[in-house]
Amino acid sequence: MPDSKQVLDEPPPFLRTWPRVYTMVLIYLACLIAVFYAFTRWFAP
Amino acid sequence: MRTLDWVVLFAWLAAIVSYGLYRGRGSGTVDSYLRAGKTMPWYAMGLSIMATQASAITFISTTGQAYVDGMRFVQFYFGLPIAMVILCATAVPIFHRANVYTAYEYLENRFDTKTRALVSVVFLIQRGLAAGISLYAPAVVLSVILGWPDRITTILMGSLVVLYTAFGGIKAVTWADVQQMMVIFAALILALGMAIALLPSSVSFADALTVAGAAGRLNPVTVKFDWNDRYNIFSGLIGGMFLMLAYFGTDQSQVQRYLTGKSIGQSRLSLIFNAMAKIPMQFFILFIGAMVFVFFTFEKAPVLFHPVALKQIQTQPKYAGIEARYSAAFEQRRSAAESLIAAKRSGSGAGWQQVLTRYRAAQHDLDAARGEAATLAAATTGTAGFNDTNYIFLSFITHYLPVGVVGLIIGVIFSAAMSAMSGEINSLATVTMVDVYRRYVRKTATDRHYLAVSKIATAFWGLYAIVFASYGSGFGALIEAVNMIGSLFYGGLLGVFVLAVFFKRVGANGAFFGVLAGEAAIFAAKLFTSISFLWFNVIGCVVVIAAGLVISLFERPAVRTR
Repeated sequence: MPDSKQVLDEPPPFLRTWPRVYTMVLIYLACLIAVFYAFTRWFAP
Repeated sequence: MRTLDWVVLFAWLAAIVSYGLYRGRGSGTVDSYLRAGKTMPWYAMGLSIMATQASAITFISTTGQAYVDGMRFVQFYFGLPIAMVILCATAVPIFHRANVYTAYEYLENRFDTKTRALVSVVFLIQRGLAAGISLYAPAVVLSVILGWPDRITTILMGSLVVLYTAFGGIKAVTWADVQQMMVIFAALILALGMAIALLPSSVSFADALTVAGAAGRLNPVTVKFDWNDRYNIFSGLIGGMFLMLAYFGTDQSQVQRYLTGKSIGQSRLSLIFNAMAKIPMQFFILFIGAMVFVFFTFEKAPVLFHPVALKQIQTQPKYAGIEARYSAAFEQRRSAAESLIAAKRSGSGAGWQQVLTRYRAAQHDLDAARGEAATLAAATTGTAGFNDTNYIFLSFITHYLPVGVVGLIIGVIFSAAMSAMSGEINSLATVTMVDVYRRYVRKTATDRHYLAVSKIATAFWGLYAIVFASYGSGFGALIEAVNMIGSLFYGGLLGVFVLAVFFKRVGANGAFFGVLAGEAAIFAAKLFTSISFLWFNVIGCVVVIAAGLVISLFERPAVRTR
């Protein structure tokens, strides 16, 4: 088993903190699903 | 394929291998060979993760799936962004700080050797079989399309992968994946553009959407819940999230990609990239399939897309009747589709419903004729459950795309197979060396010795995959069983990692026997219920956690607090 070591844990290049990045991803997912749902309804026969 | 296509195909294959060999230079230590010396930037890891996951058969069957069933399959990936967020917050920093080569090393640190050994063996079995399949399945399809024996396509793809993977290790794999994904993206855009451009001049893009929508092919979201339905929003979000957590968090073929990161942040960004890009990419591929469906609404396709099976059934007495019914249904469907477009343009609501009913009746008749042809093909070729879905997109490419583009897209499909296989044999070699050889066979040796073993293990797994795939046709129904293996084991693997990270009071015995209990539950669900496979991951994970917690109540504190 290799020894544990200190690893650089830098902030993200945008939105300053990782929790904000994660929130953005989840909002993005919700938007994608909403768009896909609207797409499905729009083209439903 | 014409001469220019062959030139493009072989030039592309040579470019992949050359670039892999070039970027794999300097992998002279175990750390650089298996972890790229932890130097990889996020975009290289992100594209490599995407390339490893997107096998050739996924690529060609996804378009075929949209052709026959619409775009519902995209829901399979709805849980992926949630899984990525969870892994960024938990697994990525834990694995980085533990400074491990494999995810399974962490389990020994947290639990004990038997848990690590159990999980490593499960991975080697599952991924080892999958490596053979991921080479065999596209090799068969390409052999039919190119008219080569399937052993030739198997050996060609397999030996090229082994060459650059064994030489350059994970650096070669990752950078070759980057190159391949860039061309895959370009080829996808080209394929969609061609599918739309080849529509009759009287059919606009908006008309194509009307026809695809009327045929039920533009249906990416299904909100109706059904345990037995593979693809709906609930199975995608919940079942898909568990599957993706297991795949990206416990499968070494994925974990190894982000362990090569320069930092925790770079590894996180690679997963965030996949969280953002994967669903649109799958939507795009499915949309190509939907547009190919519209193309074949106006251009008559053969009754079967599998060229060899089609030739065989054409000699059968029943074929003439099937072909006549198919041709009549095709003409009726084309006429109904033209009427649908006219009704949409005129905004006639009443006329629309009438024409839609006519269109659906024609589609039903056409599906019935294709079903009869498939049944005849199954009887003639001796292939139970004959299905030509994987040949639809390739048939479109080889018969309708311009010279040169055909070679490029066939080359891209070769690439997808090779990138999936390279990631698999690289991770299998890593687990073999780190979790088996260095742990049980030779605990102390020089770095040079372990590097040589890593290369031999890579070559071994590559040859194994080639041999397995070369005799794939002899395994028959086993192929189907092997395809299920991932879903049978991922729930158990995920459960033990959840115990390790979130349940500090659970000890080694709780984890070990929890995995066994979880696997028993999954096999029971598989054998005695009709629950869709996406839910197996949820069932397995929950049972492992519950069993682990119960067993830990009877463990001595000393065992629990490792």
